Amino acid sequence: MQDSDTLKKPIIPSKLITEKFTIELGAQEPWPNDVKLYQPYEVEQILLPDNANCLAVQAFLRMCQLHYDVEPRANAEDMSPTGKVPFIKCGAFVVSELEGIVQFVNNRGITLTDKLDNEAKSDMRAYMCLVHNVLEKAELYICWMDKETYNDVTSIRHGSVYPWPLNHIQNWSKRRSVMKNLKVWNWYDKTLEEVFQEVENACQALSDRLDDKEYFFGSHTELDALVFGHVYSMCTSCLRLNEFQNILKNFPRLLSHCKRISELMGKDTDPVEDLLKVPQN
Amino acid sequence: MGVVHAKVPQNSENSREECSSDPYFHNPNNPTKQRSEYGDPDPDAKDIVVEGIAARVDKIHIDGLQRTKDDYLEDCFEDLLRASNFQDVLVGAHRARLKLEELGCFKNIAVFVDTSKGPGSTPDGLDVTFNVKEYRRLTGGVSTHVGDNEGSLMIGMRAPNMYGRGERVQVEYSHGSKKNTQFSVSFIKPLKGNYRPVITASIFQNHSEFSASGFRERGRGILLDFGFHSYPLVKHNIQWEGIIRDLGVAGKSTSFEVREQSGVTLKSALKHILSVDMRDDNIFPTGGTFIQNTTEVAGLGGDVGFLKNELYLQSNVSLFEDITIQSCLGFGIMRGIGNDMKLGISDKFYLGGPLSLRGFQTRGAGPHADGDATGALGYWAAGLHLFTPLPFRPGKGGLGELFRTHFFINTGNISEFTIEEGEPITNILKNNLRLSYGMGLALRLGNMARIELNYCIPQIFDENDLTQPGVQFGIGMRFL
Repeated sequence: MQDSDTLKKPIIPSKLITEKFTIELGAQEPWPNDVKLYQPYEVEQILLPDNANCLAVQAFLRMCQLHYDVEPRANAEDMSPTGKVPFIKCGAFVVSELEGIVQFVNNRGITLTDKLDNEAKSDMRAYMCLVHNVLEKAELYICWMDKETYNDVTSIRHGSVYPWPLNHIQNWSKRRSVMKNLKVWNWYDKTLEEVFQEVENACQALSDRLDDKEYFFGSHTELDALVFGHVYSMCTSCLRLNEFQNILKNFPRLLSHCKRISELMGKDTDPVEDLLKVPQN
Repeated sequence: MGVVHAKVPQNSENSREECSSDPYFHNPNNPTKQRSEYGDPDPDAKDIVVEGIAARVDKIHIDGLQRTKDDYLEDCFEDLLRASNFQDVLVGAHRARLKLEELGCFKNIAVFVDTSKGPGSTPDGLDVTFNVKEYRRLTGGVSTHVGDNEGSLMIGMRAPNMYGRGERVQVEYSHGSKKNTQFSVSFIKPLKGNYRPVITASIFQNHSEFSASGFRERGRGILLDFGFHSYPLVKHNIQWEGIIRDLGVAGKSTSFEVREQSGVTLKSALKHILSVDMRDDNIFPTGGTFIQNTTEVAGLGGDVGFLKNELYLQSNVSLFEDITIQSCLGFGIMRGIGNDMKLGISDKFYLGGPLSLRGFQTRGAGPHADGDATGALGYWAAGLHLFTPLPFRPGKGGLGELFRTHFFINTGNISEFTIEEGEPITNILKNNLRLSYGMGLALRLGNMARIELNYCIPQIFDENDLTQPGVQFGIGMRFL
């Protein structure tokens, strides 16, 4: 049992070596079959902003025709290296959030934006920023700042995975950290009307960019995935405030875009179609 | 100022004598008076045969009491009041002094014994005077502590004897060399009674990093403890602990198995700790046995649930005057309860390291995932040690007494210990056994910790184990 080789210690800690090498080697490997996408439980736990981001990543992977399995975990957020869902586990790698995953996939030579020139690419990034800065923040605002939504939906769903009294403590601390972030982004002092106005403006900008095209830049890009994630989860959200739906029904272009991608994803398109049927004001 | 009255059974007149409450000091010029002052031997003292001299205690004075209540001290003087000869008085006075010290209310205690004078004094009567000095209302300090291969600096503040019956509030913050920090506020209340019961309630927060397992943890919780002695040396602690633990990975390279367990959990557990310490010394005992058994039931609320029992035995036998054989045995087993209850890496057993199975890295034996120890549901470990003085005994009677040479054999096993039908339990326990041996130097550090520097040879180990052959350094309070 005693082997002199095993007794020799490497000069550099072995962990550091493997970390460095695997990152470089990872690029050449083919996409494995056992890639898992970790996210919170869809039915009882996930909140609107997280749901949007998870759907966006799923749509992106589907557009790239990369295989993945969804693995729901109550502690997905804590497991994620950046503290945000979703994240994927691909071999030894753990990569989180849409931007990180896009970068990771690009490193393997798979990209949706190779036909785009530099100007279009920066355009696309600007629109992605718009979605993150407006739609995501608005969703966070509604979930955590609006009393009615917080009491009826957010606190129940977010606390559902913790035992009493930990659920209250976790809700309280999460709410405090979200509020702190909203303060930094200058969203804390906004009124509900202002928030919805921001959402409407953002939708208007996206709708204008989309025009009558099928996708924002001709074919699928990560922007399409991100917009789909947010629009679809807003359409299907169980929030009592259906203000989001009221805004969205004025943007049939975004809704049809969303319907197109939901069909690609094999998702239920009824909620989107229902909104499309509603006459615009 | 407190006064305890002595009762005379045969003489009812004297039984309720009034005592003067003035401070009573002995007269050093009177040669007939016998004097005993502990901790300060008089260079002029003559040897006196104290056996058989009839004596009884008439009065006990306690000088220097300010906020301490009389009834809180009464129990300390039982032996002293029962004394019937002078020797008993001295022994009783000494015991009373120890008991007073144990109360933790007094900074220093001096004892004076003098013949009894004045009205109500009996012919053989003695007066015993305890000169005490109470702690101030608020004390504090900075100290260093050692435990589990880590040194730490502790800053503490204490409000001793708050309401006069030994109640105290303690605030402690400690910062370790491995970045483990701990903060606690506790309220401690000793109760009256034969079993020396003590109630402790504390709230605490700690940050710990377990680099061998690739995770760090922040715990915040409440601990209620009820401690008592069922026999003088048999101590029980019944505890309830409610703790919220936030587990996070320590770095990017942490294995996914550990990452999967990150998140916040709530543990609510009842614990019983039984300890019997019959050793003559904490660090280098030459005789006696130490037993500690810990039983824990988690899952009374919260989302962590298990049954856990851990036993530690240590026995010392002196071969010659200072050559000691020490044998140790540790055994732990745990089982999860229910499918909804979690049982994670924070609670599991680990084996290996300079304080447990020497010759292995910390948590080096047992299941690993990508180099991170993930623990198991059971372990046993045993050690046989031979402690001898340094060869040729340099510094005998002085510095050399702090050192011992140390020879050891460690063995143990860590696994789930699931009992399968048809397989004898001894097979399960000895399957995949680990063994290491070696020798080194052990050093006493104060009366609290032991430092060991050993050359270790891991002889039998599993291919997944992380061994550490060669020199290994250990510092701690409890070793295998």
